[in-house]
Amino acid sequence: MTSTTGVASRAMAGFGKSALGRAFGSWLGKIAGGFLILLLLMAIFAPWITPFDYAAQDLMNGNTPPAWPHLLGTDRFGRDVLSRVIYGARTSLSVSATAIAISVSVGMTLGAAAGYFGGLFERVVMTVVDLTWSFPDILIALIFVAIIGPGLTSTMFAIAIAYLAQFTRLTRAQIVQLKRETFIEATINLGARPSHILLRHLLPNAIAPVIVVGMLAIGDGIVLEATLGFFGLGAQPPTPSWGAMMSSGTAQLFLSPWVIIFPGVVVAVTVVAVNLFGDELIRALDIRDRIRGA
Amino acid sequence: MRYATKFKFLSGAALLAAGFLATAAMAQEATIAFSADELGSTSYNPVTSSNLNSAASLIYDRLVEQDADQSYHPHLATSWDEAPDGMSWTFHLKDGVKFHDGTPFNAQSVADWIPDFAGTENAYLVAAIDKVEVIDNLTVKFVMKRPEPNLLYNLSSTFMGIPGQASYDKLGDDFGVTAAVGTGPFKLKKFDIGLDTVLVRNDDYAWASDLSKNQGAAYLKQITFREIPDQSTAFLELKTGGLDMLLGVPTDFLKILKKEKNIAVIQMPGTGIYYMPINVTSAPFTDIRVREATGLAINQEAIVASIYNGVGAPAHNFLISSLPAANVNPALNVSYDPEKAKALLDAAGWVMGSDGVRMKDGKPLKVKLFTQNGTEFTSLTQVIQAQLADIGMQADITVFDSSTIRDEYKSNQHQLAVRSYDWNNADILDWFFSGKRLGYPNVSMWNDPEGQRLNDIAMEQSKTAAERSANFKTYHEYILSQYLFVPIYQPTKNIAYNTDRITVPAKVRGTRFRSQTVLDMNVVK
Repeated sequence: MTSTTGVASRAMAGFGKSALGRAFGSWLGKIAGGFLILLLLMAIFAPWITPFDYAAQDLMNGNTPPAWPHLLGTDRFGRDVLSRVIYGARTSLSVSATAIAISVSVGMTLGAAAGYFGGLFERVVMTVVDLTWSFPDILIALIFVAIIGPGLTSTMFAIAIAYLAQFTRLTRAQIVQLKRETFIEATINLGARPSHILLRHLLPNAIAPVIVVGMLAIGDGIVLEATLGFFGLGAQPPTPSWGAMMSSGTAQLFLSPWVIIFPGVVVAVTVVAVNLFGDELIRALDIRDRIRGA
Repeated sequence: MRYATKFKFLSGAALLAAGFLATAAMAQEATIAFSADELGSTSYNPVTSSNLNSAASLIYDRLVEQDADQSYHPHLATSWDEAPDGMSWTFHLKDGVKFHDGTPFNAQSVADWIPDFAGTENAYLVAAIDKVEVIDNLTVKFVMKRPEPNLLYNLSSTFMGIPGQASYDKLGDDFGVTAAVGTGPFKLKKFDIGLDTVLVRNDDYAWASDLSKNQGAAYLKQITFREIPDQSTAFLELKTGGLDMLLGVPTDFLKILKKEKNIAVIQMPGTGIYYMPINVTSAPFTDIRVREATGLAINQEAIVASIYNGVGAPAHNFLISSLPAANVNPALNVSYDPEKAKALLDAAGWVMGSDGVRMKDGKPLKVKLFTQNGTEFTSLTQVIQAQLADIGMQADITVFDSSTIRDEYKSNQHQLAVRSYDWNNADILDWFFSGKRLGYPNVSMWNDPEGQRLNDIAMEQSKTAAERSANFKTYHEYILSQYLFVPIYQPTKNIAYNTDRITVPAKVRGTRFRSQTVLDMNVVK
């Protein structure tokens, strides 16, 4: 009994300060994590730190190269690229994080129920979920755009569905494995209700890998959001989105490359940072095997 | 795993594409991209389709061709006579012309074809024709209900390309989609809606008009027309060799293209207008003062100078300026006047709110602004959005695919939209403002008795070309007085091609880039 409660408490604490602290321990973790925190602050405080209104046009001063006061130059409409990149962080992060949060919550619920109850229910849920996995993300996204029209809502749903399978499978695999542990059998024998066992014993033990994979998926979500934005299916103008900025920048690739380069660099660096930090987190939590297991 | 699979798939596709490009470079083939304003055709049926692209002019021939100087030249009709009272026209047809399916083209082909228009959106083209009489195998007589000074123009239009009747009857709705039979210099090989159209040479072709030097079969064996919604992508493809010709070069790229040694640019006078229709049935645009204010908010000169780098001209009414009916009372032209726009909105009860958006009865002045994807449209739309914001109107943009946007109009979901048309005749006013075509093409949803009366006069009661112009001018002026749209821009047509790959005649004949020019195109040997 003592050893099993030990497993439970260690995993519950696993996402506490110590793991994050350890992820920040390495220099790679410090750089990646630091960048992500900076980005998050930029997104949150965008209205206060942007030097210009992101939508304000100045047609006669379009396509000016980076110089004071437009540090990253202006686009063809004379809008400040720096302000748009900062606001773009808001769009990208909020869309991606919300979508992944939806995906994680739904995926965990489905995966836990499937893993715990098994039988026909499990087969149906897993088949449906695997079906969503068999479609490319971008195709799912296009289906959503076709149904509810272009915009951030459809982008969010598309990202949420595209990554649902991953979280459902991961949670289910953890639950199936944990169900066979002695401490769960003991709890069942003591007469606990399924909801008690799931919420108090199984999920807390399964949550760490799911959260980490979720964090990594935010990086993918940012890329998918940028892709949809690039095709004009994501945020509708003038709302800045990194993908849409790059798309409009292609028209001026040779005239004013800064319009496409800066959002492009930010997308790339953000995704690299998310992945590096995720890796550090996996290392700190020592859960690489459990993630591979799914 | 997932990504690995995807990557393999992608690299496989890239290899295939590379292989395809290599073969295309060796054969007598050309790859051409349509311009942004001719995307979204769903059929090559000239009779029923409301939207035809340049490729349609290669599949079908017309009785008459119009040259750049507006003169008419014989094509499948070798000559014609109009009765002095305008009540009949006799056309003498070219001998030896065959459709792609081998059936002969003769007077009966014309007599069978004209009635096909009945009940279609293109019926106006033949509305003045009472009946078609076959005089002999190669002579046909149009008996008119009324004089039609615009008949030759209509006959030269792509929509009056002559289809093979046997195939037309057999295929029904599939005609122009699964197969298309005409007498043109190219045959339809493959048509993937929204993607590409592959045409192969009609080896039997020997009936070109005098607008082409080449009177025989085309030099090019195969032409692939591609729909590339994003003009910057198309431009990059031209630069990197994926495309041989681009029918619409965005003005942004003209400067760069002039520096490229192997790319030549042909500039032709434009035959269209960019404009913003206003849905008059949707509040707040039911109020004419709001519509007028919307028109006065748009700064055409600034748009031409910034978005189009000064290439082309601002549009202040609905017609291209070379048409006589475009020469309206100057007071009716729509020009930038933000102060008057603000005063009109104030008078209409829309009071400026603290957040820069006007309010009336607790409701903000928020409207929907539709546009289609591709930088050409989205850039212009964003400027319009900002100019509307300056008078206190918040316009929320939605970007649609060029083919689905028409369905939105038909279901009356729109308020404002940024659009363009390509047509060099005053009857475009009938096309876009007739109460018979609400939704699309009448995106303004305007159905007005006086408008229809003036439309009828212009379309049906003009006896001479001069009278017709005057009638259309009156109709045009009435339309302008109702503020049904905002005119924006008159583009020039910029065509670019790769001089290492293909040759194009120095002087483009005709009002547009069509079959007569393509016949003279060749690959560089």
